[in-house]
Amino acid sequence: MTDTDVTLRVDGVTKRFGEFTAVDDLSFNVRAGRVFGFLGPNGAGKTTTIRMIVGITAPDEGRIEYNLDACRKDITSDTTTPSGEAAATPPQTRTGVGMSSKLQDRIGYLPEERGLYKKMKIVDQLRYFAALKDVPTAEADKRIDFWLERMNLTEWKKKKTTDLSKGMQQKVQFITAVLHDPDLLILDEPFSGLDPVNVEFMIDVLREFKTQDKTIIFSTHLMETAERLCSDILLINKAKKVISGSLREVKESFGKNLIALRLTGGDGILADRSLVLRTIDHADQTEVHLVDAADPQVLLKRLIDSGASISKFEKIEPSLNDIFIAAVN
Amino acid sequence: MRKFLAVVKHEYKKVVLKWSFLIGTLLLPFLAACFAVVPAVIFSIKGEPTRIAIVDPTGKIGNRIKENLSSERMMQRAKKAADDSFKNMDAPQDERIKQSSEQFVDSFVFVDYAADPNKTAGLRQDLSDKILNGEIEAYLIVPTDIYAPGATFEFRSRKAGDFISDTFKDAVNNAVRSQRLADANISEQRLDELSEDVILDAKGVNERGEEKDTSGVMVASFIIGLMIYITLAIYGQAIMGAVVEEKETRIAEILFSSARPFELMLGKLVGVGLAGLTQLAIWIGTAAILIGFLAVSFGGDEIVESLPTISPLMVVYFLIFFLLGFFIYASIFALIGAMVTTVQEGGQFAFPPIMILLIGFYLSFAVIRDPNSTLSFWASIAPFFAPITMPVRILAETPPFWHIALSILINLVAIVGLVWLTSRVYRIGMLMYGKRASLPEVWKWIRQR
Repeated sequence: MTDTDVTLRVDGVTKRFGEFTAVDDLSFNVRAGRVFGFLGPNGAGKTTTIRMIVGITAPDEGRIEYNLDACRKDITSDTTTPSGEAAATPPQTRTGVGMSSKLQDRIGYLPEERGLYKKMKIVDQLRYFAALKDVPTAEADKRIDFWLERMNLTEWKKKKTTDLSKGMQQKVQFITAVLHDPDLLILDEPFSGLDPVNVEFMIDVLREFKTQDKTIIFSTHLMETAERLCSDILLINKAKKVISGSLREVKESFGKNLIALRLTGGDGILADRSLVLRTIDHADQTEVHLVDAADPQVLLKRLIDSGASISKFEKIEPSLNDIFIAAVN
Repeated sequence: MRKFLAVVKHEYKKVVLKWSFLIGTLLLPFLAACFAVVPAVIFSIKGEPTRIAIVDPTGKIGNRIKENLSSERMMQRAKKAADDSFKNMDAPQDERIKQSSEQFVDSFVFVDYAADPNKTAGLRQDLSDKILNGEIEAYLIVPTDIYAPGATFEFRSRKAGDFISDTFKDAVNNAVRSQRLADANISEQRLDELSEDVILDAKGVNERGEEKDTSGVMVASFIIGLMIYITLAIYGQAIMGAVVEEKETRIAEILFSSARPFELMLGKLVGVGLAGLTQLAIWIGTAAILIGFLAVSFGGDEIVESLPTISPLMVVYFLIFFLLGFFIYASIFALIGAMVTTVQEGGQFAFPPIMILLIGFYLSFAVIRDPNSTLSFWASIAPFFAPITMPVRILAETPPFWHIALSILINLVAIVGLVWLTSRVYRIGMLMYGKRASLPEVWKWIRQR
């Protein structure tokens, strides 16, 4: 990984609220053109970190460095997008509030807690948010039409927020985050409140984004979705970094000795800490994490010897969910 | 700057393109007019006439009382009372009520009642029964000898209104006085001549010693003060509502990731302020057209003359002071909006600034009464009050220019301070969800880097 590949470098960032430290000496890099999964339990400091990245609040310590041109490497600088003007600028660093307006215009942000003006027409709201990101009016109108079409919301263009269902409002909020064609898109729990059909739909939209060489930072509780979308992972807990790296690295480092098991009996064997590191119960199976040196064959033999009836015994990869739970506990 | 202008445009359109703006623009002058006219109208509505039986053993007083309570006399009194109450807009409340109630007294219908003057005890019983049976509402028993010490007129009525005013008392007093004068051999004609009212030509004098009609100025000043008060209160609360909406719906978070909080807040104030100016411009324009129309169609030189002279410079001053007031109160309301979590909560906090506004409105009465007093001077340069009191004072009697300049300067300084304070609270408060901020917390936000 070369330096130019890094879109965002967070370096030793700390944020305190009074006595409470929300983010503690956090460092990570986000690589250009990748989907970066920002995971952690509630109250871990995700939203605080994201707010610092988008320039809403300033870190108390540390610095955040942006190199948004990294994700524009395949796009010529004479593009018509507003960000084209700033295409040749060197990496921008920031330690306090007062992030440049140009920089903010190249970042798209969908906050976790979000809303729309209740009594305003959808198209008027979108125009306003586009204007705040410095998108020229004609261009904004073109993009609003494009995105409403893409989200199957064209007929709702002139309707007010209160006429829309929750799911439709979510989609409109997503549009506000992408209207200005940002190079870096930050989504905080983008799927909360969406039904499964719409989740699939949004995943497709995000994949499209990924193919355009944009960088996406995306925070979620839904580990399955994260697993499907993310190329890199950062897991934080209690203000600190716990795990980071590419999805592959993370899974490998978490351990290879994982077995999915469905059986009756054999309880005593699973409690043997010299063999089994931990077990995670699911509805229809148990995931057994063996100690590194242990041989799965030994476990299988002992279970058979004990007379347990085994209907499933499969060597599996750890799921992100397992990693999450293990890391947080 | 482009983003700031986008915010201004957005906030302006948000206010002006709403139905409530159109309705408010139409309704507010109407309401202000009602404020001035409705009490008079209500008081002028007559109830049923009071049926009264007069028992007059002397045979002389009764007729005189009837004459004094005749409808012509009552009309005269009511008209005079109406004139007085209009001239004394700033009179104390109890006096105004009394004046208005003069118009309020119902007319009387006299019921013939033949009584046996000797049976006084049975008489009262009989009259009371008549009241209970609904044949009459009131009765008056005239004493046998009006010259006797301690001679008492007995007046009983079911209508409380009869007691509020001095109408009835005056009618009886006058009747007795005339009778006494007649008894002293003064003829009715001579009596009329002697009791002729004087003509009091009351006019104010301005600083150049010229005569001026004060009643028109007073009404105009009152209406101006009221309009500024109402407009500031409404627009202030509109700002608060808009701020709370952005906080409640979490739009603030998206906004803050696009533009600086200071740009957003100032843009909001300027946008809504321009909407307020638009409304004022509509009112001033309409009023000018209306007065012009009235003057032409009624050939009304009188109307034009009785109107206070409002120069274009005065209009400019009004607009300046409206804007000063707007920025003072709008920033206070924006600050409150950023502190609270719901509009309802904001309503409780809105009480202190509304109170201050109201005090300013009341101070304007003192200013109308005496525009050159020390109190008027201080009231019209003090921050918070000046936006109401200074326009009133300018209209009542334009003060020296340096008073106006000083007032503008002091209020500008107050605005700079308030906008700074509000922007400090705004940038943090807008992202604090869930609970209302306490004052120590707000203080911490202000000092926070």
